[in-house]
Amino acid sequence: MYLNYSPIIIYTILAIIMVVVPLFIQSLISPKHNKGGSKLTSYECGEVPEGSAWVKFNVRFYVIALIFIIFDVEVVFMFPWAVVFQELGLLAFVEMLIFLLILLVGFAYVWVKGDLGWVKMKMKYAHGRYSKLSIKEEV
Amino acid sequence: MSNFSSIAYYIPELILVILILSVIVIDLIPSLQDLKFPVAFIGLGLLALALNLSHGVKASIFMDLIVVDPFSHFFKWIFVLATASILLVSRYSVEVEEENHVEYISLMLMILLGLFLMASSTNLLMIYLAIELVSIPSYILAGMKKNDRASNEASLKYVIFGSFASGLMLFGLSWLYGISGSTNILDIHAALLTNGNQFLVYMSLMMIMVGFGYKISMAPFHYWTPDVYEGSPTPVTAFFSIGPKAAGFAILIRVLYTIFTNDGSLNATSPLYDVNWTLIFAVLAAITMTIGNFLALHQENVKRLLAFSSISHVGFMLIAFTVIGTEALTALLFYLVIYFFMTLSAFIIAIFIKNKLDTDTIDGWKGLAIRNPLISAFMVISLVSLAGLPPTAGFVGKFYLLAVLFRAKTFYWLAVVAILNSIVSLYYYFKIIKSMYFLNEEEEVSSEPLEVNPYVKWTAILFSAQTLLFYFYWTPLIEFINRSLSFWNS
Repeated sequence: MYLNYSPIIIYTILAIIMVVVPLFIQSLISPKHNKGGSKLTSYECGEVPEGSAWVKFNVRFYVIALIFIIFDVEVVFMFPWAVVFQELGLLAFVEMLIFLLILLVGFAYVWVKGDLGWVKMKMKYAHGRYSKLSIKEEV
Repeated sequence: MSNFSSIAYYIPELILVILILSVIVIDLIPSLQDLKFPVAFIGLGLLALALNLSHGVKASIFMDLIVVDPFSHFFKWIFVLATASILLVSRYSVEVEEENHVEYISLMLMILLGLFLMASSTNLLMIYLAIELVSIPSYILAGMKKNDRASNEASLKYVIFGSFASGLMLFGLSWLYGISGSTNILDIHAALLTNGNQFLVYMSLMMIMVGFGYKISMAPFHYWTPDVYEGSPTPVTAFFSIGPKAAGFAILIRVLYTIFTNDGSLNATSPLYDVNWTLIFAVLAAITMTIGNFLALHQENVKRLLAFSSISHVGFMLIAFTVIGTEALTALLFYLVIYFFMTLSAFIIAIFIKNKLDTDTIDGWKGLAIRNPLISAFMVISLVSLAGLPPTAGFVGKFYLLAVLFRAKTFYWLAVVAILNSIVSLYYYFKIIKSMYFLNEEEEVSSEPLEVNPYVKWTAILFSAQTLLFYFYWTPLIEFINRSLSFWNS
């Protein structure tokens, strides 16, 4: 029965070869001198690299990203459902409504708690963690 | 059974899902916000009712992903009781802030749903999903005190250990799938009987035990326990010490007895071919209880001490896996119920002390006997029970577990280690009692009485009273356990 697994070991060996051999070849043929200057900079399709990629992102992006992922996945589930909708009938429709309802509860939670506001403002139903929040007047 | 007709057997879980959603919705409506806890309790009451109605039902539902059987039913009762009592106590805990209450309740109920699924899944993928459904809300609950560094550390450590353990477990599950070609544990057992390889089975068993051992904090996967227990809010710690642990044992029993025995059911008498996992569990039990007890000796923090004590109790419960048979499982489930009552009552009193005095250290408990004699007396009962001395149920539980070894005439050395460990454990449990009752002459402590919230008081009293009750009269419990010991297919 071990023979059934032979593709895995062949695959593993090939993967190791694919990494080691190019590294070995390039160490053989690459020039040993004149390595300085622009040869060491990162390659950005011909553009001159500008600054570091490690910049600070506003922490508020993560909430948006989180919500985006939820609704993205929702749509991913809806595509196959829509394709076979005609054969599944009413039951599938009700099931999808329940699924959407559960997601909507999460959406309502985010909305009411004020996590969608890019600039945090005093809210109509402000309570809990945002109850002490007030608008800062900007000049 | 098809998906649609399965729903009739799935009512407790459906009630739970509706409850989670309605708690969130209620919090969003300003005029209903104060109803969060009442609604949660009403929902849990309905859940208990539905659970009671489904007593004794046996069915494999949702295309054999999960099952309903007396075995999972027994564990579901433990989970519901644990969640309800912890929620009752959390309402009055200072560590769970008022503004986080809705997140707290809904995450707790999500864990409860995960625990339900853990106790009843029979499919490798479902097992993994259920464990993750328990783990991920647990990570958040451990970090519930957002501005507390210890809590943040607890959460992060839990995430890192948890993802590593479940990664290894997933690898083990994939090996099982590889050698059997199925993710259903019954099919896996059938496939392994006709065509299997001892080495591969050993390897997958080892890696699966990493994941399960992490959930029940078995040595050598116990490292997260003390730090997570210490950093988490105390009600959450109390929940961790019983809920996920009981579920870990449930899934361990189900997987071991279904896949890794000759019979593939609870009637099994010997391991699958020569995969000698009883010896592995004997060694692990000895290591777990020794590590738990000896590291507890020098702890000054009550939560940390109870964490190590819970590790040593897990070591004790692992004794049941050194013998294959229903007798051993009866002893294990009996001990689990008693452990549930005694550890929860000790934790509830710790929550009360934390609320009133804001201290976790043993020294902080000084003079409690003067300030609240009733609560101290019941704490003594719980601690004596944890130490396993008569006249408490802890003694009966240990007696049953050791009797399993002697009746099967195996692993006498393990019985010796267990008894020696019980003696060691006396020292640190009595350290708390000493701090409550005895003072040095020069020490001055405040003697003003400490008022206890009636709900917290009666929960603590009810739970520690069980440890006395089950010492004198445990026959109904044993009968209930014997009735519960049956899988859906037997």
